[in-house]
Amino acid sequence: MEKFLLRNIENPNSADINEYVKAGGYKNLSKALALSPQDIMDEIKKSGLRGRGGAGFPTGMKWSFAKADPKFPKYLLCNADEGEPGTFKDRPILEKNPHLLIEGMTISGYVLGSEYGYIYLRGEYPAAADILNAAIKQAYEANYLGDNINGKGIKFHLAVHQGAGAYICGEETALIESIEGKKGQPRNKPPFPVNVGAWSMPTIVNNVETLSNLPLLIEIGGEAYSHIGSKECPGPKLFSVSGHVNKPGVYELPMGTSLKDIIYKHAGGIRNGGKLKAVIPGGISTPVLPADGIDCAMDFVAMPKAGSMLGSGAVIVMDESVCMVKVAYRALKFFEHESCGKCVPCREGTDWLRKVLGRIENGNGKEGDIELLTDITGIMLGKTFCPLGDGAAGVVNGMIKHFRNEFEEHIKNAGCVLSR
Amino acid sequence: MFNESVLKEIDEIKAKYPDRKSALLPSLYVAQREFGWLSHEAMECVSKALNVPEAMVRGTATFYSMYKHRPVGRHVIQLCTNVSCMILGAEKLVDFLGTRYGVQPNGTSRDSRFSLVIMECIGACGTAPAMLVDTDFFDNLSEKRIEEILEKYK
Amino acid sequence: MITLTINEKEVSLDKPVSVLEAARQAGIKIPTLCWHEALKPYGGCRLCVVEVERMPRLQTACTLMAADGMVVKTESETISKVRRGILELLLINHPLDCPYCDKAGECELQDLVNKYGPTVGRYKEEKRKVPESHKDQIFARNMERCVVCTRCVRMCNDQQGASAISIMGRGDHSRMEPFSAASFNCEYCGNCLTVCPVGAILSRLYMHSFRPWQVDSEVETICSYCGVGCSLVVQVRDDSIKRVIPKIGLGVNKGLLCSRGRFGYEYINSQDRLKTPLVRKNGVLEQSTWSEALDLVAERLSSIKKTEGGPAIAGIASPRCSNEDNYVFQKFIRMACGSNNIDSISRTGYAAAQKYFEELLGQGITTNMIEGLKNSEVIFVVGGDPTAVNPILGLSIREASRRGAKIIVLGNAKGLERFKTLQVVPPVFKDAEVLEQLLVSISNARGVRGEKLDVDKGIRALSDKNSGNMDIEGFEELKQALLNSPSTSIVFGMDLVQRTNGHRAIFAAAGLTYLLEARLYLLSDRPNEQGLIDAGCVPEMLPGGRPLNIHDFKRKFETEWGGPIPDEDGKTLFEIIEGAGKKSIKALYIMGENPVFNLPDGTYVKNALQSLDFLVVQDIFLTETARMADVVLPARGWTEKTGTYTNLERRIQLQKKAVNTASGMEDWKIISEISVKMGYKMAYSDAENIMDEIAMVSPLYRDLTYREIGKGNCLWPYHGEPLRGEIHELPAMVDTANVYNAEFYLTLEKPLFHSGTLSRRSPALMKICPEPTLKMSWAAAQKLGLQDGDRAQVLTAAGSSEAPVTIDDSIKDNKVLLSNNFEGKGLFDLLTYKLDPVTRAPGIEGCEVRIIKT
Ligand SMILES: Cc1cc2nc3c(=O)[nH]c(=O)nc-3n(C[C@H](O)[C@H](O)[C@H](O)COP(=O)(O)O)c2cc1C
Ligand code: SF4
Ligand code: FES
Repeated sequence: MEKFLLRNIENPNSADINEYVKAGGYKNLSKALALSPQDIMDEIKKSGLRGRGGAGFPTGMKWSFAKADPKFPKYLLCNADEGEPGTFKDRPILEKNPHLLIEGMTISGYVLGSEYGYIYLRGEYPAAADILNAAIKQAYEANYLGDNINGKGIKFHLAVHQGAGAYICGEETALIESIEGKKGQPRNKPPFPVNVGAWSMPTIVNNVETLSNLPLLIEIGGEAYSHIGSKECPGPKLFSVSGHVNKPGVYELPMGTSLKDIIYKHAGGIRNGGKLKAVIPGGISTPVLPADGIDCAMDFVAMPKAGSMLGSGAVIVMDESVCMVKVAYRALKFFEHESCGKCVPCREGTDWLRKVLGRIENGNGKEGDIELLTDITGIMLGKTFCPLGDGAAGVVNGMIKHFRNEFEEHIKNAGCVLSR
Repeated sequence: MFNESVLKEIDEIKAKYPDRKSALLPSLYVAQREFGWLSHEAMECVSKALNVPEAMVRGTATFYSMYKHRPVGRHVIQLCTNVSCMILGAEKLVDFLGTRYGVQPNGTSRDSRFSLVIMECIGACGTAPAMLVDTDFFDNLSEKRIEEILEKYK
Repeated sequence: MITLTINEKEVSLDKPVSVLEAARQAGIKIPTLCWHEALKPYGGCRLCVVEVERMPRLQTACTLMAADGMVVKTESETISKVRRGILELLLINHPLDCPYCDKAGECELQDLVNKYGPTVGRYKEEKRKVPESHKDQIFARNMERCVVCTRCVRMCNDQQGASAISIMGRGDHSRMEPFSAASFNCEYCGNCLTVCPVGAILSRLYMHSFRPWQVDSEVETICSYCGVGCSLVVQVRDDSIKRVIPKIGLGVNKGLLCSRGRFGYEYINSQDRLKTPLVRKNGVLEQSTWSEALDLVAERLSSIKKTEGGPAIAGIASPRCSNEDNYVFQKFIRMACGSNNIDSISRTGYAAAQKYFEELLGQGITTNMIEGLKNSEVIFVVGGDPTAVNPILGLSIREASRRGAKIIVLGNAKGLERFKTLQVVPPVFKDAEVLEQLLVSISNARGVRGEKLDVDKGIRALSDKNSGNMDIEGFEELKQALLNSPSTSIVFGMDLVQRTNGHRAIFAAAGLTYLLEARLYLLSDRPNEQGLIDAGCVPEMLPGGRPLNIHDFKRKFETEWGGPIPDEDGKTLFEIIEGAGKKSIKALYIMGENPVFNLPDGTYVKNALQSLDFLVVQDIFLTETARMADVVLPARGWTEKTGTYTNLERRIQLQKKAVNTASGMEDWKIISEISVKMGYKMAYSDAENIMDEIAMVSPLYRDLTYREIGKGNCLWPYHGEPLRGEIHELPAMVDTANVYNAEFYLTLEKPLFHSGTLSRRSPALMKICPEPTLKMSWAAAQKLGLQDGDRAQVLTAAGSSEAPVTIDDSIKDNKVLLSNNFEGKGLFDLLTYKLDPVTRAPGIEGCEVRIIKT
């Protein structure tokens, strides 16, 4: 497939506006401004575009809710928090193709009637901050941002807001709290951000990749877009592949590409001729799949049927050398560290899960610990305030489901055989 | 109190948002830069500059893991040990940093040259293991490569 | 109308509420931990989960809005299991130290575990360890017990507005901090104590001294400190007060309290209380008996009345005493002593302002519900910090601010610093001039109203002299805000009355109230300033605000009271003091007041009182004034007697007896006994009996009974006709073209943690604020080379004192503030005063001060 999101990124100066324009950039903005916002909305709905942040919510629907709210101003927030472990797909856009995002956001601002946009960038990407700020400056100078965009009297302002190390701020309401200068703790919904979001105004939160799809959508139209990839969730998708593969990296492939193909065809198969043991298909919050479970289409609809989720499309590939108890333990360390602390099941549950997994991993596991783990996840699942806690519980359940024997071995042998 | 130029910088940050409180996170970065870490005094300055209650400043500052609440060494190594990095040997690199440079997770080496922070995913899983030294990014790490890199940070 | 089904019971709602509240309305209790009725829902604990038909997962009832047709189940096997699970999680890090924990017995976690909880713990690892913190004098903080429900944080942020508490860290490292030790703007309201469901925040005042179930009685009464009159509950054991707690939803305060109300109660148990009457013999006060003391007072007063005439006797009433006490007192001074010389310390502010406002705009003009503040679009605050003088009223202003109302402050904003939308800082002591210009500019824009001819005339006279412009920052914005406001409240503090031209500020504020049809609120720092005026403890008015100089009123009272009311005009407070100095006043009866300390120019007051032939002081402590008396009579205090109080919005409330005490006698009783001895009959059986009489003679309290009052909704005027006592000739405005160009001026601080001289006998308040501090702006401190905490000497023409310095960023002018609450260290000893010619209140402005670092 022809690359769109990652077009031109091999060019060492790809982040420069001149290079971007040379490669056809910003012409889709001009094209969009010649259309009416409603026409573009219709195209978006036709395209079937779904959010790329993890939940896969239909973008057109979200936008129409926001547009319907008469309150003004409306804020457009780009979710560049990219915190899901294993995910590094937004980064090439942010660092190598920032003008694509800016173009996408300006178009979105025009469609939504939003005059202010912010890019919520994770604190761990300091280089991206500089690149984005430089690109924004260029875009202002070239009149792609400002009070009179393309001389059409259209206003859109954009600024970068840096996070400071909190995974939960990727959750949209936590992100809003954070941009308001508070701790990033999720808000109760409803009201949804599209009605009461940042600074109590209608707010649209979209992922970097989602917004970066806008220029393409304008370029080829909703109809053509809807024919790329899966029927139910079309479009190009960025997959971050890491772990024990020969060619890790970010791949732009049609939505619905099979997990197996991603690993073996695109990422070059298992490293050092090793054997596949397990794959985490959508970032650490998605349940693990065993080696024989990878024959599935990577999209928002097919993955749940396969026992996991598409998440952010972050494929972590693990060969036989990996101890799954250790992976589970490390994952729970992450969740315990990142739990915002608002709700009891996640705050206390992740801590307890981590401790029990830790003792199993360290050889102090007791009989009944596996049942204890599933009891704890049982308390958590479906009862946490936001999906983070659910994710943590789901990860443990997935590990136990597919690799129960490894847990049992750990308890029986007082530790890990693999690491001895 | 912050000096005039810092206050001006903070005023510019404030101007980016519809509400002064939104300037809190960026202002904390500014304070961290000015004071080296977020001392009590640093947070008090932020509180005054933004007219945000001090308790709120502290609550927010301690929520985020990239703010330092203790003095740190001259250089901060932020090493990822999340799953992708872990399965490619990040934990060994933690041990290496300990034996070679005397710096433990969340600690500072005795000569104050380095502090080490264990990170959750820094978005370099494809080129794992990876770390940030101050704001510079390095990946495909090995013990040897770390030694080479850290050479430049005195 | 929303109708839903909860546990097979149909529930109809008249307004949208959460499922949890809907269930409560139907009498169904859903367990909660993070939810609190006084706070916004949070959804953190997840204990309130319920099953809702057609919803995929369990829902938290506290955050789910009830919708029409919903079918909800609040108890089931699944739900119990979840609750048990959540409680197990909560207990993994919670210490099981219930036998030791002060919260046991009223701990929500304990109760929940008792109902739903697991019987055995499966958590084997080490529990979180955080040592209990006793860093603070008032609060003990135990973070092992904290369940991170954030109720305290939400209380402190959203209700109190102090924002002194925050959760530090995140996830399972969350712990509540920093709060208190006087840092982070802690206002020591203790409202966090009210909401903490567990033993994480505890009061050290009564720590380990009793169990909640060990109280003998709980009495709902009102606070004894300020003019808001908050409702509170006194818990008593062995006739001593164990603690004071609020009750959610009750009274004007709806369950909030301030530091004074919650922690200031200990004075009543003080060792220093007067127990027996004292009589001066050979120059020394000696213990005496009631009969000897009362005989002596009656005899001396009678003889002075006989030889010098009634007007040689004067009385000072007390805004800390009840309506009944004050009513009996003025009747005694008028009828038994034959004098209209009756006034009170309210003359220094509230009474002076109140009277002039009413003369201008009609009786009842300041009768406005405190609640109403919350609904104002613009609140204009002048003359003092409401959050310190009347803290709970201040909270209504903060709430209005959160709701989006404009809060405009004239002068220093203090407790409203973070809530103000606009601040106008007048040139020092020129507040009245700013208000006048504002009035002129508003009348230029709006024209006069033509309803009150005198006021219109006054405004026109002002317009002739003023341009309506003022070259100070924010003036224009202020004017526009007021002109464009759909509903305005003016909050008027007493700082502006205590000026030699205080009447001008009052007139201007009255004019604004009139032109803008604003609601007017007067701040009142004593609990019964209004009641005392209503009771007739002002020289020129009889009970019910009936002017003495209107013959019909006087006649009516003479009939009721069975004797002649003297004809001579009574003297106001300072005229009484001056009269004493000049020996035209020979005898003074002071009930519950401490003028030597509480009035400006203490030395002058003291000398004046020394010149008296006979001084009686009736009090609960041997105050500076009592020490000078010929006879000291021990009274009863708060919770030791029953009586009514009228708050600043004129709500008449019952202060109830809660403890039995052997010492002291009710004020009204002492007075009526003396009265009888002097030959004027008073035969009251109890306070209620006195109210029956008041309800008969006072048009404002007509038909009032204790039973009605007890319901808490008696707002003045009660069945009565407010009297439009308009004046027909405005007193001429006095020009005071004073120039204030000194470097620094000393003025009065009205502190949050103290009130008069009572609070200094309250150990808790003394711990929170042990001594007065000299408050000044950062710029002033810089100029003086002072730092926070430095000690400095304060020198004025009248005297000197020493105090530590506090830099206060909310002070925007060259005033230096000192409070007047601490023995020997008060501000008033350092000031002289000049009376305002109209209000007769003392002007204390313009006191130049020198400050030297020591
Ligand atoms: C715990 C958690 C973490 C999340 N992190 C991210 C993230 O890092 N980046 C992101 O784009 N979306 C993240 N999301 C999803 C966002 O909440 C939200 O769905 C997304 O920003 C919407 O954009 P989209 O519609 O373009 O996908 C996260 C959600 C949860 C619950
Ligand atoms: S599940 Fe609860 S504690 Fe965990 S991140 Fe979400 S809101 Fe915070
Ligand atoms: S009471 Fe509903 S979640 Fe705590």
